[in-house]
Formats: sequence, C-alpha cells, structure tokens
Amino acid sequence: MIDCTEAVRRMWAYLEHALEPRPTEEFEAHLETCQRCCGELEFSQRMREMVAQRSATPEVPDHLRARLEELLRGASVRPENKA
Amino acid sequence: MLYVAKDKAATEPGDKRPSTAESRFADLLEANLERLYGYCVRLTGDPHDAEDLVQETLLRAVRARSALRDPGRTKAWLFTIATNRWKDLGRARGREVTTTPLDVVDEDDRFSLFQTIAIEDPFPYSDELHLDFLRLFRDEDVQAIFATITPAFRAPLILTIIHGFACKEAAAVLDIPVGTLLSRLHRGRKQLERGLWDYAVRNSLITIAGEDEP
Repeated sequence: MIDCTEAVRRMWAYLEHALEPRPTEEFEAHLETCQRCCGELEFSQRMREMVAQRSATPEVPDHLRARLEELLRGASVRPENKA
Repeated sequence: MLYVAKDKAATEPGDKRPSTAESRFADLLEANLERLYGYCVRLTGDPHDAEDLVQETLLRAVRARSALRDPGRTKAWLFTIATNRWKDLGRARGREVTTTPLDVVDEDDRFSLFQTIAIEDPFPYSDELHLDFLRLFRDEDVQAIFATITPAFRAPLILTIIHGFACKEAAAVLDIPVGTLLSRLHRGRKQLERGLWDYAVRNSLITIAGEDEP
C-alpha cells in the first residue's frame, strides 16, 4: 500500500496515462481509501486545465510570417536538381 | 517550380489539383507556425528570444525538409528542432538548460498547493475554495509564473499540458528517457504550484490572515 506522499508523486503521471499497470493499481487502491488524495487529484486536473486555458497562443508577428514566406521562396528558387 | 502559400486556391479543401511535395511542405510549416511561435515564447520566456528561435527553427526546417518523412509529425519535428536550438543557445550563454541540479531534492517538493489553500483559507466564505483560487489567474499571470520555472522542468510542462503531447512524444522532443520526463514533470508541477501561490500572495490576489503579524 502506498502512502499519500507517494500517491501525490504519481498523480500527474497518472493524469498523463503514463503510469505502468502495477503503479496504477496501487495508486487507484490508495484513492479508494483516501478522500484527501481524491480531492488533490481533482484539483490537479483543474489546475492543468486552467493553465492550458490561460495559455492562449500568442499572435504571430507579421514579420515572422514574412520571414517564413521569404525562406520558402528562397528554397523554391534554388531547387537542388535544377542546373 | 515550387508553389508556396501565396496560391491559396491550391490549398482549398476539395481542390483536386496535384500539389508538389514542396508546396505541401510550405503548407505544413504555415499551419504549424502559430503553435511553434507559442511554444518558443513559453520555452524562452521572452518574446524577442522566441522570435529568434522561431526564425532559426524555420531556417533549419527548410534546409532539412527532406528529413520530414511523416507529415503527421510536423509539429513534433519542428518542436524538436526548436528544442535542440534552445539547448544550444542555453549552452552558448552559459545557461545549461538540461544539467541544472536535477537530482537535488528541493523545498518545492514538500510544498502542496492543495493543502496550503485548505490551511490558509484565502476565501473564508467560499464553497469552492480551490476552484476560486484557480479562477484568480489571467493569461499574463500564468505566463509570468511559467517564466520563473526552471527551464528543464518548464519544457515538459509546456509540451504536455499546453501542447497536448503524450509523455512519450514529449520525451522524444526533449531527447530524454520517459522516466526522466516524468520526474521533471513532477518537479515542474511542484514549481508551478509554488509559483501560483507565491504569485497570488505577492500580487495581493489573495490576503492571508496574519500575514503581517510578527
């Protein structure tokens, strides 16, 4: 049986579906007996959602878009297989 | 002749005209530019550094375009190029981003935001204490907090939570084993928790009872 410290340590890996089967079983068994860790698991999920929602993609500056077009044009006018 | 995105008609859905590998490549880069820029802004924590990093990434991507074998992996491919370049820049500036003292057990590991909110009780009349705490933060707050997280721990957070990479994919982008990724993700999480709390207190988003008492 794992304790709360270990359960907290495994929490994000569990939310990422990145725990191996055995550690997952142990983690879920702990949750069945621990209301505190159930609360923290839900809080962790909400915190992750908040961070994702508050991380809107910043607008790409126009000169970066222009730079990409320039790079692509540069690549296109110098095809490697053309004499 | 290689057609780039200027010719919008060539990229319209339903267009049956054959397109060259190059024009598809151009479309893929353009379709991923926003994500790449967002990743670089968060990775570097600085808009100017991010622009430089995007430009270098695009230049390398265009030069190495034949290395992109699976168009479905364009995002991961671009992020990998950006990450490698970011590590190079860190080394060049004497700020190694991957060999910060990762094995040292830090104070943040003992910090629990969940517990701290419950104990400090910043919203005495709230039924949703923890959710109310999360509702305090705006985009710029989260960005500022992310910038304070150790770069080696920040990158796994950005890739998994914000850009939706599975741990295995994130580990591949960062070129580290999955176990290391998970360990850094945990450390990043703890710094994020501490960062959220400290930021809220420092910026008076919450008031802690007895904070000013001796």
